[in-house]
Amino acid sequence: MMVLAEIAPPTLGLYLGFGALFFGVGLAGVLMRRNVIIILIGVEMMMNAANLNFLAFWHYNPNPSAVMGQMFAIFGITIAGAEAAVGLALVIAVYRHFRGVNVDQMNVLKG
Amino acid sequence: MNYTSLFGYLLGEVVLTAAAFVILIADVMCHRKDDVGARNQRMAWWTLTGLFLAAVVYAIQFAQGNANFADGTLVINPLNLFFKEVILVITAITVFFSMEEPVSKHVGEYYAMILFAAIGMAFLVTSENLLMIFVSIELLSLSLYALVGFQKQILRSAEGAMKYFAFGAVSAAFLLFGLSYIYGATNSLSLPAIAETFKGDPLMARSPVLLIGILFTLVGFGFKIAVVPFHLWAPDAYEGAAAPVAGFVASGSKVASFVALTKFLLLGVAPAAGAATISFPFTPHFTPGWAPVIALMAFISMVWGNLAAITQTNLKRLLAYSSVAHAGYILVALFGAKAWGQTAIYFYIIVYALTNLGAFGVVTALANKVGGDDIRCFAGVWRRAPGLTVLMMIFMLSLAGIPPLAGFFGKFYLFAAGLAADQMQLGYLWLVITAILMSAVSFYYYLQVLRVFYVNPASRGGPISICPCQRWPMTVIALIIFLIGWYPTALLDWIQGFLQRV
Repeated sequence: MMVLAEIAPPTLGLYLGFGALFFGVGLAGVLMRRNVIIILIGVEMMMNAANLNFLAFWHYNPNPSAVMGQMFAIFGITIAGAEAAVGLALVIAVYRHFRGVNVDQMNVLKG
Repeated sequence: MNYTSLFGYLLGEVVLTAAAFVILIADVMCHRKDDVGARNQRMAWWTLTGLFLAAVVYAIQFAQGNANFADGTLVINPLNLFFKEVILVITAITVFFSMEEPVSKHVGEYYAMILFAAIGMAFLVTSENLLMIFVSIELLSLSLYALVGFQKQILRSAEGAMKYFAFGAVSAAFLLFGLSYIYGATNSLSLPAIAETFKGDPLMARSPVLLIGILFTLVGFGFKIAVVPFHLWAPDAYEGAAAPVAGFVASGSKVASFVALTKFLLLGVAPAAGAATISFPFTPHFTPGWAPVIALMAFISMVWGNLAAITQTNLKRLLAYSSVAHAGYILVALFGAKAWGQTAIYFYIIVYALTNLGAFGVVTALANKVGGDDIRCFAGVWRRAPGLTVLMMIFMLSLAGIPPLAGFFGKFYLFAAGLAADQMQLGYLWLVITAILMSAVSFYYYLQVLRVFYVNPASRGGPISICPCQRWPMTVIALIIFLIGWYPTALLDWIQGFLQRV
């Protein structure tokens, strides 16, 4: 770890790049997978990427005593949890009708 | 900040929260043995009591002065209070609509969810802080996902809710990501403070971090207001949801989201607008910012929303596509001069929400009695429920924008604000022309609905009796639409007065 930190000292850009990558991986999961639960995991990754951004921006802030970024990340984590709860409840509701959680099955409503 | 005064300013929301918990407990403890219909009515009256008390609290707060707590997290001024009252009225009408027939056997949870959504909307219109805007959007959305999927035993409801949730969750992630970039670029979360950073730094309006942040945030807002290409959930969610819930999603959530979007763009990041003007003779001029994005979304929403509505066979889906088109019209006014554009948007969003709520009320009252919410089911309803059909005509003609109904003046102000944009250089004339042409297209499908109601041969069956709990709210809405149509300046002066006292 020491060595890695010497080669590439962590900078704001590095954190943001990692956040963007993380977000992209989550988005790719949402767009390419057909299983609702995997889609939920993708959404969680996207939200955590945003939380990471908040923390990075807060850490490299000229005025670190303003804890807005940290606060936002905590709210973000909480809300992501609430969203997962509602999402899984809906997954169960959908499973009862379709006997599966594949988005391709959900094609009753269209037009 | 003083906690006693904070409690005083939050009293309205506290009352609503308390009402939601009282309903949850009362339903389980006291009314477990009653049958569902009676429980439904009792819980509805509890909800209405809570809404009424909150409305009284807000009315009292009008007399007190303005206040701003914790970096714009809670901003009390006449405009915000006015919108809170509008949201309470919309919620109360939704409750009246669901009174006759319970949406599901879980009655207490249903009304508690409606109240939680109302609290989310109330916070959304009253905050000028990105954190609070995000939290209230999520409170609103999570309650609405649950409400749309409330009829668990019905397949359409579960599928509509799942689609609504999938789009909503992704756009919430986009919103959060966008807000993080805006925070990073400006180092502040309150909208006035963000506007302040532009003054010190002329390069701020071109900062790529900020522009990416605004773009991603607009994805999140675009989902809430259902503009193309983020509208895909709307038809499915409206069709799957119970009709009162669909009306609630189409009106209350739209009002709150449009108010928040307008504040975000015009109060917070107005200097980063950029431009997407086409001046005469055909010289397009683009500057990066939110204006090109909004202009594009408005353009395709108006075109696609109206064209797709023509082919619909289900009344709720038709109303969904019409609401997509209306969201496009409203965005046109965002380019107007700040005061004028804001007034036009606030005027139209109130008129539009009430009209749409009324139209969904007609669907609520009739759908079960005519055997479905496909448009053809309503054939010849004129003979079976004449009063309601007249109300439907008023709502449809107001949505189409026919004078002297309120919808006409709403559209007039929106398009006038769009024309006045770009320092009177008519740079957004192309959008206004599209809007007017597309409103003409919309006459076709609104009149098509009325043709089915009035002209088509009647379905069998005797007169339909409408519960007074649905008839009276709809009549009141129609009256308001008429009155605003005759005296549009009354509402306009109100809104302008509130804007001056912000």
